[in-house]
Amino acid sequence: MDYFTRALIEAVLAGGLAGLVGVIVVVRDRAFFTMSLTHATFPGAVAAVLLGIPPVLGAAAASLGLVGIASGIGRMRAQGASVASGIMLTTGFALGMLLQSVSTTSVNVESFLTGSILATSNGQLVLTATVLAASALALLLFGRRVVFESFDAAGYRAAGQKPIVIEMVVLLMISSTVVTLMPVVGSILAVALIVAPAAAAKQLTRSTTGMFFVAPIIGIAAGVIGLLASRALEVSAGGAITLTAALIYLLALLPWRRFRSMVKTS
Amino acid sequence: MTGVTFEVQAGEAVALIGPNGAGKSTLLQALLGQLKHTAKRFEVPTGAGQIGLLPQRQSVTEDFPVTLQQVVTMGRIPHRGILWPSRDDRSGVQRALEEVGLWNLRKRRFGELSGGQRQRGLLARALASDPKLMLLDEPFNGLDAPSREQLIAIVRRLKARGVGFLITTHDIDLARQVTERTLLLNQKQIDFDETECALTLEQVQRVFDHHAVEIDGHTLATAEHHNEMHHGDVHGRPEDPEAP
Repeated sequence: MDYFTRALIEAVLAGGLAGLVGVIVVVRDRAFFTMSLTHATFPGAVAAVLLGIPPVLGAAAASLGLVGIASGIGRMRAQGASVASGIMLTTGFALGMLLQSVSTTSVNVESFLTGSILATSNGQLVLTATVLAASALALLLFGRRVVFESFDAAGYRAAGQKPIVIEMVVLLMISSTVVTLMPVVGSILAVALIVAPAAAAKQLTRSTTGMFFVAPIIGIAAGVIGLLASRALEVSAGGAITLTAALIYLLALLPWRRFRSMVKTS
Repeated sequence: MTGVTFEVQAGEAVALIGPNGAGKSTLLQALLGQLKHTAKRFEVPTGAGQIGLLPQRQSVTEDFPVTLQQVVTMGRIPHRGILWPSRDDRSGVQRALEEVGLWNLRKRRFGELSGGQRQRGLLARALASDPKLMLLDEPFNGLDAPSREQLIAIVRRLKARGVGFLITTHDIDLARQVTERTLLLNQKQIDFDETECALTLEQVQRVFDHHAVEIDGHTLATAEHHNEMHHGDVHGRPEDPEAP
């Protein structure tokens, strides 16, 4: 398998994963949290390189730690989740830069920030496929509950269910996705690939059921089109993929609303 | 909150009336088993889904990508039907939707329904688990007159089939229209009696404290007056005593 075939397969897997988990991020309004999480993985990856272990492991450790901190701060009512996310975002980023500046080993910071899909390894392919399969399974088992709890948390509790279970499943799914996507599109760009396809799907479909099918398709399209465009135009792959995702979102947004209002007036 | 003694019989509706902070929500939570309590006697239906809740309107995210049918299917969660809806679950959902007259709109996005339809949709969600007792939390808030009439008609139909209701409300007229008995609450129990006997001017004044006396007194006085003048066609509504 040559490097570009691996990159293409990774674009399909990562796009599907981002789209699928993105639905959860969008319906639970966790876009900002996801953004801060993507940035929080950055120092973990830098530290891992300094320690000589795979960056993904460092990113995973950092994101797990930060999920713990975030849920702790988020529980303090006076602070709130977005304050916690904002602090996490900048702290994580600053920590990564600091680590990189004091290190004697050279760290390719750019690859962590905007990804390096063309350098996709077989291990990365396996990781992405595994996280994708696990997320799909988790959604088959818990998807309807996650939707219920996101729609009406009080009603979910009143039905005798435990919201904490849902929150844990969701956090685990988002953080493993963020960690998996970091090598593909990087800390900074990952959030767009996660949020944009799901947000576009929300415009195009009537319900979450539809979103769960449409968002991965859009994610895959963004990944593949972006990758091909980056080769044709000789530009950054991570940037091209992210911009494609954003473009699809805009396309989904504009004509659809006009179409709907046309239907209403006719 | 202490000293609260009341019951809801099958096919009966009980109004739960009191100002904000009176303990209405606390009482509902306790009935749902979400709070610890030290009641000497406490009997509620304990079977799966036997208590249905219609939450206050602001509790749900209205611009959420779910269809009406999805929302009503959520009501089957006590029967585990939310995982893989079975034939039972689907027929329960259909029955509930037909009950509230929304079967034809089941594919609509929930947020695109009118306020009254959304409220009936949430009522259908509560009905989908075949409850014996329904808890309605401020069900008439923000509804226009036709929607209120429809909701009242549904409640009456369900009562006739033996479902018991506990309805929190600020609306004394509505309490009179749909409930047999009333529990007046303000931290403690003020009264539990037949609605007509419980909702006397003095009692309502006691419950709503001083600043609302005038408003409720006015409504109560005119309600009697209107009853005589317009053959029970009463539209006078007490203003929300908590309104700023």
